[in-house]
Amino acid sequence: MKPFFTILVFLGYLFFSSLYIFAQGIQEQEIKGDVSDEKGSPLPGVTVKGKNSAIAVITNGNGEFFIKIPLTVKTLILSSIGMQSQEILVGKKGVIHCVLKNSTTTLNDIVVIGYGSQKKGDVNGAISSVSAKEIENIPQVSIDQLLQGKASGVTITQNSGAPGSQTSVHIRGITSLSLSNEPLYVIDGIPVSGDANNQATSGQSVAALNGNNYPGESGVSPLSLLNPSDIESIQILKDASASAIYGSQASNGVVMITTKHGKVGSPQISYDGYLGTQEQGKFLPLMTLPQYANLENALADNEGLPRRVEFANPSLLGPGTDWQKAIFKSATEQNHQISISGGKLGTDFYISGGYLKQDGTIIGNNFQRYSFRSNINSQVKDWLKFGTTLSGSRSYQNASISNNYGIVYLALLAPPDEPVYNADGSFAGPPANQENDVNKFNPVASALSITNLLERSNLSGSAYAELKIFKDLTLRSEVNGDFNFGKQTVFNPTYTYGANTNSTNKLQEYQPSSNYWAWKEYFSYKHIFAKKHDLQATLGHEVNSTHWNGTTESIQNFLSNDLQTLNLGTAKTAIVNEYKDASSLESYFARSIYTYANKYSLTATIRSDRSSKFAYGHQIGYFPAFGLSWRVSEEGFMKNAKEWASNVKLRLGYGQVGNQNVPNYLYGAALNSINTGLGTGFYVDKVQNPGLTWETAIQSNLGIDFTILKDRVEGSFDVYDKTSKNFLFQTPLPAFVVGGSAEYSPYGSINPPYINGGKISNRGFEFNITSHNIQSKSFSWNTTIIFSHYKNKVLSLASGVPFINGNLSVGFLNFTLTKTQAGGPVGEFFGYKSLGTFKTTDQLASAPIQFGQSVQNSGNGTWLGDIQYEDTNHDGVVDAKDQVPIGDPNPKFTYAITNTFAFKGIDLSIFLNGSYGAKIDNVLNYQIAGLGQLYANQLASVSSFWSPTNSSSNIPAPRNGNNPNLYPSDRFIESGSYLRVQNVTLGYTFPSNLIHTIRATQLKIYVSGQNLWVFTPYKGLDPEIGANNQGVFLSGIDIGRYPSPRIITAGIKVQF
Amino acid sequence: MRKFIILTILTGAMLLLVGTSCKKEFFNHPPEAAITVGNFYQTTDQVKASTNGLYSAVWFGYVGKSGLSICELAGGNGRTYSPDISAYGTFSAFSSISTDFENSASWNAFYNVIAQSNALINNLPVQVSSNVAPADVNNALGEAHFMRAVAYFHLVRIYGNVPIVTNSTDLISNYQVHTNPVADIYKFIIKDLLFAETNCNKMIRGSTYASNARVSSGSASAMLAKVYLYMRDYADARSEAEKVINSGEFKLYGVDIPGKTFSDLFLTANNNNEESIFQLQWAGGAAYGFGNPEQSILAYNSTITGTSDGYAQIGPTFNLQDLYSSSDQRRKSTIMLPGDHYPELDQSTGGFTFPGFPQAGSAQNTNAAVKKYVVGTPADNGGIGAMQSTGNNTYIMRYAEVFLIEAEAVMAGAKTSSDPMALNAINKIRTRAGLSPLTVIDRSGFVPNPNYVAGSNLDSQHWPTIYKDDLFDERRRELAFENDLWYDLGRLDGFNVPNHPLAIQIISQQDRGIAIDNSSSAEVNRYPSYEAPTSGQFLFPYPATEVSADPLLTQAPVPYKF
Repeated sequence: MKPFFTILVFLGYLFFSSLYIFAQGIQEQEIKGDVSDEKGSPLPGVTVKGKNSAIAVITNGNGEFFIKIPLTVKTLILSSIGMQSQEILVGKKGVIHCVLKNSTTTLNDIVVIGYGSQKKGDVNGAISSVSAKEIENIPQVSIDQLLQGKASGVTITQNSGAPGSQTSVHIRGITSLSLSNEPLYVIDGIPVSGDANNQATSGQSVAALNGNNYPGESGVSPLSLLNPSDIESIQILKDASASAIYGSQASNGVVMITTKHGKVGSPQISYDGYLGTQEQGKFLPLMTLPQYANLENALADNEGLPRRVEFANPSLLGPGTDWQKAIFKSATEQNHQISISGGKLGTDFYISGGYLKQDGTIIGNNFQRYSFRSNINSQVKDWLKFGTTLSGSRSYQNASISNNYGIVYLALLAPPDEPVYNADGSFAGPPANQENDVNKFNPVASALSITNLLERSNLSGSAYAELKIFKDLTLRSEVNGDFNFGKQTVFNPTYTYGANTNSTNKLQEYQPSSNYWAWKEYFSYKHIFAKKHDLQATLGHEVNSTHWNGTTESIQNFLSNDLQTLNLGTAKTAIVNEYKDASSLESYFARSIYTYANKYSLTATIRSDRSSKFAYGHQIGYFPAFGLSWRVSEEGFMKNAKEWASNVKLRLGYGQVGNQNVPNYLYGAALNSINTGLGTGFYVDKVQNPGLTWETAIQSNLGIDFTILKDRVEGSFDVYDKTSKNFLFQTPLPAFVVGGSAEYSPYGSINPPYINGGKISNRGFEFNITSHNIQSKSFSWNTTIIFSHYKNKVLSLASGVPFINGNLSVGFLNFTLTKTQAGGPVGEFFGYKSLGTFKTTDQLASAPIQFGQSVQNSGNGTWLGDIQYEDTNHDGVVDAKDQVPIGDPNPKFTYAITNTFAFKGIDLSIFLNGSYGAKIDNVLNYQIAGLGQLYANQLASVSSFWSPTNSSSNIPAPRNGNNPNLYPSDRFIESGSYLRVQNVTLGYTFPSNLIHTIRATQLKIYVSGQNLWVFTPYKGLDPEIGANNQGVFLSGIDIGRYPSPRIITAGIKVQF
Repeated sequence: MRKFIILTILTGAMLLLVGTSCKKEFFNHPPEAAITVGNFYQTTDQVKASTNGLYSAVWFGYVGKSGLSICELAGGNGRTYSPDISAYGTFSAFSSISTDFENSASWNAFYNVIAQSNALINNLPVQVSSNVAPADVNNALGEAHFMRAVAYFHLVRIYGNVPIVTNSTDLISNYQVHTNPVADIYKFIIKDLLFAETNCNKMIRGSTYASNARVSSGSASAMLAKVYLYMRDYADARSEAEKVINSGEFKLYGVDIPGKTFSDLFLTANNNNEESIFQLQWAGGAAYGFGNPEQSILAYNSTITGTSDGYAQIGPTFNLQDLYSSSDQRRKSTIMLPGDHYPELDQSTGGFTFPGFPQAGSAQNTNAAVKKYVVGTPADNGGIGAMQSTGNNTYIMRYAEVFLIEAEAVMAGAKTSSDPMALNAINKIRTRAGLSPLTVIDRSGFVPNPNYVAGSNLDSQHWPTIYKDDLFDERRRELAFENDLWYDLGRLDGFNVPNHPLAIQIISQQDRGIAIDNSSSAEVNRYPSYEAPTSGQFLFPYPATEVSADPLLTQAPVPYKF
């Protein structure tokens, strides 16, 4: 009831206020003028606005303007991005010549800080800003990917190169052990969770279905519905003093995204578009058919099987099928966007429409998006402003099957003696009795014949009114909403591929939906007392509610594979399922910023959140924070140094924030319904804990912002300490207490209770420096360096929890790959230390007994050619106790270097992005270099495996099955350092006199190369692994990730 | 002035809204798609449905690869190359099982059964509405006790000493507990089963199969007979077995129910037939974890399953193949041999014929494949079934076994017997199978092999002495691939004994090898291979993750406080 009432009041309020818009009589004067820069070149696009008036125009291609203003307006304000604003008194002359100075610093840029904005130079917290200019011309589908390397302290890894796939964004390390570590995105005031798995709501990805029956990486980016071209600016609130205004939603940091707004002046029509081609940059060298035949013979010998007749003489065989070539292709990409923006009489508007189509470099994958946005603001009265934003998008994403057991994985293992197609053009398959889990599926057939389509629609919007109660006090009232509808369709057809037949086709559909509404009101007060005491205060209230719902249906036995709708299946095979829930949050927040003489500043923030996620009595959390700054450069003693250090500001911040990404009803016990032969059955889902409450992160930050060397160099440096505690933690109990997931089925076990416990610390430093190396009339060269370092350390886990294992199943193997324990980082790799192979019988005789196995050349003894493991605890035997930490998946540091050059109309930007010191567990190698299974191809690099005739090799001899050679060990740990030439863009902007004839105000063409080259010692396909489904316990684990393609695009940007 | 009034009204209205903060109800979000524990058990139907889950998904981890690996691969009915489970048939690789996924699958599954049974046993009496008749409440509690007992019975036979848990919440804050000794676990099982025997409904199994689905007081008696037999408490085993037989609750297919055969016991259509004492109730075609996974693992190929699975991960050993005489009607419904035609499988093309050599080969190179629990395509099963999810139920116990228990209990450890009660019982099963009735039951142990041919590699001719045990062999033929052989081997040398000389000798004489096609000859060429366990390997290692969470598991057990 309440939301309806709210909306009613709000609408009434808008209606009444708008009655007054038209009732003004105006006495006007006309003013002409022109604007140029310091070198005398005319400046187009400069906003010319009457002071204290809503009227404004922009200059044309020749820098000229014409404006009508009321006689009451005495002053014009001229402003343009990158220039210092200027105020000009209007005389009687009617014609104005004006020169704007270059502004090299960004201190005057307005940054959005949550429920308000501030000049960048006045900010007391740790905030990174990214402007539209920095991310334009980079052909990325979604904004999270675009942020890579653009802000210090933010570690971004693309978890998959698939179109529309998810990205891990970690601001200042890992904050939560059990919940999402993705930041909160606030898009024009509307919060969007970055959690691809929707832990706080449905608990599953919007692409929850799998094309095959194996669990894999399924998440899609929640942000891929936002068109990056609509973005005006991005602010990343990194420390608690900046983010505490978002209280319980802020512990992973907050990314504020502001979309474009119209600028007052003559309307602009822009077209922005590019065409591109993408290709797979790297292939893994796999065994050719002769090498494969040799391996099959060795494995047959090992198992006591006869060698295959056709492999009697491997050297006579041809190269065989190259399955990687068969699944990768070069793919096209195109993006178009048209926007119209402008403003008149206090009303501004921005309307855009976009279309993006990206084909995947793996067959059967593509992504398409249609998007629309309209932002309108109107100053209807001097005491009332209102506006709306509305955006809609629809995307189509075709995927085939997921990562684990996905197309790349299947293609790497597919035997080279099998063809892709039979002679009659149908898909080939394995011969009878040569099937196993991995070679059963022809990868090309799987990619092309399985339907896996995800359609998503999003509508989000907001409406606000700002009421100026008196000069310094405004009240803003805003309602916003976000509505998402998805539909995933997976169809497995009937087929016969060799000996592999499927006579039962099956359709699965999944329709997730979610809706969110919020209503917020806040007062803003701003006043300067006695010229020196600047006070800003915000006081507000917000309430929001989220509802989510999803249905899944499956049905089998279609008469044809062509028509794929539920009605065409056989009714009695139908299975349906549904989930549905809601949550709500109510908050009060207050912030005051006091600045004395532009020198000393204090920000104090407090927010209280009451959440339905917890039981009564535990619902309210308080999140206080403060930030202090001291602008040293304003002090008298710095007066003489002012030319060399125009701005030096020290910042200190401290605060607490929380984590709201909690599933519903964690505190209580419910009965999960399941299907049984007796009808619906019920399992107790978990052990309850009504005392459950917020998880908190305590953050402190010390930073310095500087603009030095005659404004040539600007930047900031921050050190921080972020300690999160009271994790909402699922006690990892042994199975004998509550049961456990068995044979991949999670059903039946009682989930351990969620408790609050544990502590992790992230300490680090980060800096960004921009240097204006050369600034001459015709040539400029700027360099930006971004550097981030953090050290993640687990201080304690919950009581009774000695460690947390990260387990993963790869093919037939199931491993504990990581162990998180106090003293180490989260998700640290864990395993044995290998000492190469056993090469002599002496070595065999003198080495400690391994895993209780006798030394013998049969079945399961330890023998020559087996891996020797180190007895790390020196107890005389090698066993499970000898496992030690073997690598940290967290990078030691990440960095990015961007160089931009401009010469007349030509600009060139080179963006390098790198990561150093992370380790990768190349789990894919258990399968593609494990030498453990018949009928599966392997890396060419292991074709020189140990054999009596190749007895110096450190690659173990082929051994069937789960054998100690495949135990998790440092053999599989590799360096994940890389330096990627992420983007090179060369553009040309046509001079305005040339394009004047086509009435354009701007015309730019460019070519751009994305992911051009990667320098890395990593031997897998792509060192940027990310986290498996964004999970912190399984990050840096390569299970056959969809590699990021190399993309070359050519684009055009034209403005009328 | 007008402006001022409007401003005041609007601001006032907003402040009013802000001031009245949300009602308490706004923050109450119990699950909208799940019942909470506190709201359930209010009607008779709810109480009846509360035990449904104990018959299905909780057992899933055991029923598939894991249970088959432990019971059939280790026992010697099956062999495999399949790298994920080959360690189960190879005792030299046994040590790797502590970290093995399949080993923890069984462990976790039994403790799932225990956790959910405990939850019901602890919640139901507290939450149940007084409107529900006490008999219905007691029946549900009886079922839960039965399930818990059966889960512990499996645990104790696979792992030996394990911790007895009766309420998960007791261990939440401290799970560093010791195991309880085998003898106490048996005592606990008996106690639970006696509870079930007293509280579960008494039933007579009829031809309306749907109403036979649940366990009854008689099911508890039958299970008690089996547990007593393991304990070598022959008197109690016999009295429970005879109680079941005399009750007339269950009926033997093909004997008490004419027109039905041994093969019919395993058709999906005959789920919950009169012979069933306790079956797991799968939802065929439902999501992974809710349907029966066995066919997917055992079926020879994807033509049989029709759902692209059918991995033939376990092939019948020659040792098992040789155990069936040609007249044994159970053989074809248990294992497929070349040329066998199955009209019930792949019916749309007229049935499935098992090729064997010289076609590309057969399951795990044994020239044979498993048939039991292989039921065919969804179309063969009334349209129901999906990949890794068929609708045929899994037997945990069927009536035929009660007769074998009766015979063994009557013999009470004697080497030979011609007691008519014992003969009657075993011959009931033999006759149904098409075998001649015995006049004396011989359990002599190792005797000279009458078929011994020096130099032969055929299992039946290979050894100068062979094991002779009519009861053991009958159980093995009757119950092959119903997850029983390993447990039988484990009790041959006595109840709760550390040494297993007899079982070791039996296993070391099982041909677990392969055959290679020799196209020039009519016979396949066998390549026998033999495995020998040590006594310590008759108990499986605790999953390593459990030991690392609770190192006390590997210490000496402590007595359970009853």
